[in-house]
Amino acid sequence: MITRLVGGECIDGVSKSEVRDLYLVQDTIFSVSKDARSDAEYNLSNHIVVAGGIDLHTHIGGGKVNIARLLLPEMVRHGRSQSERTESERTEKEWKKIAPLSSPVPGTWETGRRYLEMGYTACFEPAVLPANARHAHAEMADTPWLDTGGFLLLGNDRLLLEWISKGVPQSQINDYVAWMIRAHQCCAVKVVNAGGIDAFKFNQRHLDVDEKHWYFSITPRQILQSLSHAVESLCLAHPLHVHCSNLGVAGNIASTMATIDAVEGRRLHLTHAQFHCYGTEGPHGYCSAAKVLADRVNAESNLSIDVGQMQFGQTVTLSGDTMHQFANRKLARPRKSIFQDLECQAGCGVLPFKYRQDQYVHSLLWAIGLELFLRIEDPLRVFLTTDHPNGAPFTAYPHLIHLLMSYDFRMSIFERLHADVQRTSSLASLKREYSLDEIIKMTRLGPARALGLSNRGSLSDGGLADVVVYERCQNPEHMFARPKMVFRRGNLVYRDGEFLATASKSTIVANVEIDSTMDVTLKKVWPMQYGYSSDLIRIHQDELLSEQRNIEFTSR
Amino acid sequence: MICPFCSLLCDATDLNEIDCGLRNKSLNQLAKFRSQLDPSFNESVLDPEMELAASIELLGIAKRVLITGRIASVQTARAAVALAMKLNGTIDCAEAGHIFKNVQAIQRAGINSVSLAEARDHADLLIVIGDDSLFDACPRIPHALHGQNMSRKTVLLLGGFTDKSMKAWQAAGFQPWSISCKLESVPSALLQWSNAMAQSSQDRMTSELFTALENAKYTAVLWSAASLFVEQADLWVERLLEWIASQNETKRCAALPWTSLDGTFQQVCTWLTGFPGRIRFQDGIPSFDTYAHSYENWLAASRDLDSDSVVIAIDETVATEPFRAKMKFGLDRKFYAIELTAGSVRFPTAVAGAEVAADIFRADQTLLAHLTPSHECDESRVRPAAYWLARLAP
Repeated sequence: MITRLVGGECIDGVSKSEVRDLYLVQDTIFSVSKDARSDAEYNLSNHIVVAGGIDLHTHIGGGKVNIARLLLPEMVRHGRSQSERTESERTEKEWKKIAPLSSPVPGTWETGRRYLEMGYTACFEPAVLPANARHAHAEMADTPWLDTGGFLLLGNDRLLLEWISKGVPQSQINDYVAWMIRAHQCCAVKVVNAGGIDAFKFNQRHLDVDEKHWYFSITPRQILQSLSHAVESLCLAHPLHVHCSNLGVAGNIASTMATIDAVEGRRLHLTHAQFHCYGTEGPHGYCSAAKVLADRVNAESNLSIDVGQMQFGQTVTLSGDTMHQFANRKLARPRKSIFQDLECQAGCGVLPFKYRQDQYVHSLLWAIGLELFLRIEDPLRVFLTTDHPNGAPFTAYPHLIHLLMSYDFRMSIFERLHADVQRTSSLASLKREYSLDEIIKMTRLGPARALGLSNRGSLSDGGLADVVVYERCQNPEHMFARPKMVFRRGNLVYRDGEFLATASKSTIVANVEIDSTMDVTLKKVWPMQYGYSSDLIRIHQDELLSEQRNIEFTSR
Repeated sequence: MICPFCSLLCDATDLNEIDCGLRNKSLNQLAKFRSQLDPSFNESVLDPEMELAASIELLGIAKRVLITGRIASVQTARAAVALAMKLNGTIDCAEAGHIFKNVQAIQRAGINSVSLAEARDHADLLIVIGDDSLFDACPRIPHALHGQNMSRKTVLLLGGFTDKSMKAWQAAGFQPWSISCKLESVPSALLQWSNAMAQSSQDRMTSELFTALENAKYTAVLWSAASLFVEQADLWVERLLEWIASQNETKRCAALPWTSLDGTFQQVCTWLTGFPGRIRFQDGIPSFDTYAHSYENWLAASRDLDSDSVVIAIDETVATEPFRAKMKFGLDRKFYAIELTAGSVRFPTAVAGAEVAADIFRADQTLLAHLTPSHECDESRVRPAAYWLARLAP
């Protein structure tokens, strides 16, 4: 099958944006066809053509996502989505405005459909508990249309903490990380509040970067050093993905800076950075420290962040950071929450939450997120995320893009924020407006590079033909709310609100070798730690394969 | 190898070395199933393809469809939910009544919980609530909780446990402490024992219990909803969860609610639809109602099972208790477990994990295991339930 996309403006952040034809030959992109024949042609004047969107931090699978669903059945408001309505039911205005999700954490079928409806083709679950990895993969397998991958949650697993406390050689830690990654079929390593989740199980309610875990007598700094070293040694494509200490705590910019110092110049990705950018000045003991972090990211090329931008409204927060989720339990709206201590590996906290414009810290958080976007110069190192569903549902992306592309639109909302935020925030002074090219970089090329997906994120020859066509529109929110067409592996799967075909899916897995000595070691120590054999949790590749599903390997 | 016969999912190099009454009983049951595969067995389905065609026709004209049963695997749960959606049907698993005791309480109050390996490794006080039926359903729970730090682990059995349960804990290396009391009174008793007033109580036992609770650094509270025979069990669970939450203000305490194999269905249904079961589809959209969409209520409203109403009953376990309902379709191999109406159809299905590969959640809903069968079944005569469900789809 050869498809010719005629006369669209091709934007990918690699080549100069230009109006040109693009060929999708089977599942591969080419700028020139070897012969003039094409099986299908689409005239795309007044359209832009881009690669499929990639969300590198969105909670779409695994235990904590499912218990959030379980906790909040009353928040489900099912209506037919716009694409499911008949043509006569749609009005022009309604069509352009993106419909809300049926709940803060919808089911997998809806998640896959709604991502594709915005032009996203790959999403990554950033917190896969090892014991729960098979569950996370099963959920992601049931999320249609999307390629998926998982970041393995390490840094609170008692086996690792014990080994670090005993001072085992770094090579042993490297082998352990490699074994864990492959056994759980993940593509990156995530650390949440290094050591803090485990410390909370020992009733420790606070753990700073250089503070000792009460039981293991090691610090988060040691854990970060060890894991970042392992990630580099194993040549994992994605740097250590870190949720810093002191989530949401006033003054946590100090621990965020200490976290950066801890990895000693190795590559580091700071996730949902807006929650880790607080100073202590300001009218209510909280102020923005976004400039401090942005300056650091601008100065050090080993750093990248995703923002986790918050939007006002009801959502549910779910995090492995039990320590800080528990500390915030009284802020839950509605007032109920779930906390889990899980399998000597980590934990999770689920709190429903309502972000309000009239609340100082919430307004400040909104401004901090945008400050980070606007202050960080390189769009290939700052990624568009809402940390779905923590900051907002992923369906907020078109709105967020509008905020970044229009100063006036940004200010129209800024003027409605808590008065103290308006008075103290520097957001109004940031006049930068993102270009279309920059938006495409931060939602496609940047995450593809950050994850080592060399065949995705651009329209380069030989790239995977996951291609999205948007109709040009004055209002970027309307434009990005709904593509004209989406191609997956060269097949037209979505057009004008209609889903036309199913699509095959890939699970992205890091290509690392397992050391046989570690296999032997874990066969011995795993049953002592967990009460079952390491074979029980090991996911075989066959389990991830089916007619519609394959595995892709990444490495640096 | 992983044992598929209860939600503990015991793991051993040689499962035959495990001393477990339930496993032995289940293996006998499995052998009985295998004998039914004999072509001479007169109740076997003779021509499944013909039956299938007729069934699809019947489902095509049905106005009300219920899918229920003992669904143990991710694979079958997926297929069952997908079929319910296609047929605009209702779906609710047979053990939902137990599961929803916990679910309803959690949906109102939330929960502080702990997984099995965490409790095994970290808890220094295990409070186990219920009666002997807890261990009848999962005999090796005490062994599963035998961890590395046994010297500092206290086990407190509360409720109607007899010597049988005491011995089970002792056999696993614990020195349990048992207090016989009415299950109804357990949440209030815990509240009383953890109250400072108890410290100076003249009652020695109350004073000792206060000390045990006070000294515990991490308490895990285990119960099985299936063994929870109290009035308004969801409120009972809610009160227990409130006590656990209160403990966490100053120390650590967490629940370990034990679920049966049907917990797998609850998980899958939740991730596919957003709801843990008891849903009815209309135009592809699920609605959730813990009462209206329970299978008992559905059956009560369709007592005569006329031609407009069809029940698809699935059983991929070796459980022996019959469904107390008349069913139109049976996807199982227990010629006594599902009572079929006249003219109904039965498709022989494999036992999940024992005869066909299956993904099954452990009782704490944290670990999802992949079970490969030790006894391959004859696929020409017995297929996975998911196969039939997929074939029944319009």
